[in-house]
Amino acid sequence: MSATDSTAVRCTGIRKHFGEDEARVEVLRGVDYTVRRGELSFLVGPSGCGKTTLISVIAGLLATDAGQVHLFGRDLAGMPNDERILFRRTHLGFVFQQYNLLQALTAAENAAIPLLAAGVRRREAVDRATALLERLGLSGKTGSFPRQLSGGQQQRVALARALVHEPRLIICDEPTAALDHATGEAVMELLASAAVHPDRAVIVVTHDNRVFHFADVIAQMDDGRIVGVDPRRRSGPVPETVSPTPPSPLSA
Amino acid sequence: MNWVGLQMLRNDRAKFAAMIVAVSMAVFLMQNQAAILATMLSMTAAQIREVEDADLWVTEPDVECFDQVKAMRDIQLMRVRGVPGIAWAAPLLKIDAIGRSEGGRLNTVTVLGIDDVSLAGLPRRMRVGRADAIRELDTAIIDPGGHQLFFPGEPFRPGRSLRIRDRRIRIVGISDVAAPFTGLPMLHTSRSTAAALNLGEQHMTSFILARSAPGTPPEQVCQRIQALGGLRARTTEQFAADAMWFYGSQGVPMLFMVTITIGLIVGAAITGQTFLMFIKENARPLSMLKVVGTTDRQLGIMILLQGTVVLALGSCFGSGIAAAVCNLVRTQPFLRSLYLPWQIALGTCLALASVTGVALYASFRHVRGLEPASVFR
Ligand SMILES: Nc1ncnc2c1ncn2[C@@H]1O[C@H](COP(=O)(O)OP(=O)(O)OP(=O)(O)O)[C@@H](O)[C@H]1O
Ligand SMILES: [Mg+2]
Repeated sequence: MSATDSTAVRCTGIRKHFGEDEARVEVLRGVDYTVRRGELSFLVGPSGCGKTTLISVIAGLLATDAGQVHLFGRDLAGMPNDERILFRRTHLGFVFQQYNLLQALTAAENAAIPLLAAGVRRREAVDRATALLERLGLSGKTGSFPRQLSGGQQQRVALARALVHEPRLIICDEPTAALDHATGEAVMELLASAAVHPDRAVIVVTHDNRVFHFADVIAQMDDGRIVGVDPRRRSGPVPETVSPTPPSPLSA
Repeated sequence: MNWVGLQMLRNDRAKFAAMIVAVSMAVFLMQNQAAILATMLSMTAAQIREVEDADLWVTEPDVECFDQVKAMRDIQLMRVRGVPGIAWAAPLLKIDAIGRSEGGRLNTVTVLGIDDVSLAGLPRRMRVGRADAIRELDTAIIDPGGHQLFFPGEPFRPGRSLRIRDRRIRIVGISDVAAPFTGLPMLHTSRSTAAALNLGEQHMTSFILARSAPGTPPEQVCQRIQALGGLRARTTEQFAADAMWFYGSQGVPMLFMVTITIGLIVGAAITGQTFLMFIKENARPLSMLKVVGTTDRQLGIMILLQGTVVLALGSCFGSGIAAAVCNLVRTQPFLRSLYLPWQIALGTCLALASVTGVALYASFRHVRGLEPASVFR
């Protein structure tokens, strides 16, 4: 695939099962799913339909039974393990429903984790994370520990952690599910403005139809398949914050 | 990442503290027991090793240690002196007698009668007074433990006397010899004084101390002496080793080994279990680290570092307590020989570290097996 290809994520014919014999469940039954660069793609569908499994496969965290996953033209399944980890560390960012912040670290230190994992010096990593947190509206909280932060603030720290190393694909699983509506909306708005970038794709798994208006594309999943793709013009407050040139995802 | 690991450890104060306490206590217990055992064994050899002027000991054939006394005939001394390669040989008389202080305190004492002419076997280190003052008849120097026993609370000063077998023995000095395994007061006198105390017995020589001539290996001289027949000759170190083996093979070390082993197992079990619990409770954050691209290698190093910090801190505390207790106990004259060799200190720490290492490895395997995708759940 050429570098100019606008495809960020391309899944074809993904199959995945869990368990054996009686306990065997076919979770993904031939998923075809594409996300383009610059796109904010929502993955929606009933509980248990395989959304989390699909994004785990896309992130290279789960092996598939069949099918192919290409991220920016690279086949993760074909990579040696170490290279796959390195790819994930460099090019992927994650936001989880449960935030998954380390209680032992401050907000800035938590946000700096991907940089630390990549071997960036602590000082520099924390400085970069602090600057990012400030831009995400957490100026006064960079030195706070997770237990001192509200859910919305914690999720913003998690968002900073997903962005700090300027990845090319951000994967979010139910980022607003643990938040009340207003907070969820605010987090999603931040996600849409800070994460979206012409060279980056964002996948958001969600049940929360109150935030659907942020999506560029909504992929509907059911029973292990993508059953519909609904391209829509984003109605949220976005494009003007998106810069056409890379370095920082936040430079506006 | 290592820094993140240390923060995680520090953040879980309860477990961090529990592990350090467990390591400290185990290390203290092991070092303390091992030090007592080592001290006891070295005490059985100390009286032999302290005679530095001689390099070989000649005894009756079946003598195994310093506390087994077998009378030797004077002719044996002549025979030893006649062996080629002997620089000198001198008799040492060892007797046990009842001593009584002016204050009426009674105790069995060990009297060592030192050859009047050569003074071979005279204590090298003195706390008070000069050792060669014992040349005068009916004088003796006493060890600190003996002084405390007979004259409790009194400062170490010459001038007091003991009544032994109806003779008044004047104390002219306090020696600094190692505490004996028997725990009995040690009196060094001249052989004439000791013989006078031993009147009516044929026993005049218990050991023959000898020195090999320069250029002749003591082992070779020993062989020549043994070739005479009816004698046992050993270098100082051989005799010391035989003495330690003699006591060491009596089963007492087993009791200490049991305690040491319990310390090792309990210490390692508590530390290892707590560490594994710490890792398991952090399964989610650790999985998250895996998701964001931390390698198993990085996590393994992190675990190794966490374990090393726990073990190092605990070992330092434990060794510190053991050393402090040892120093405190040593102020008691009878326990003055207690010591904690660095080999024991290091050995116990390493033993605990290697057993705890099993738990560190188990923790690493647990982390390696963590399913990163589980973080989404
Ligand atoms: N590790 C696993 N072992 C066995 N079964 C699994 C495992 N992970 C997921 N499943 C099963 O796969 C199915 C799909 O799970 P998945 O988490 O992908 O659903 P989901 O669409 O994300 O649901 P939700 O909206 O509730 O999060 C479920 O039936 C689940 O029980
Ligand atoms: Mg899910």
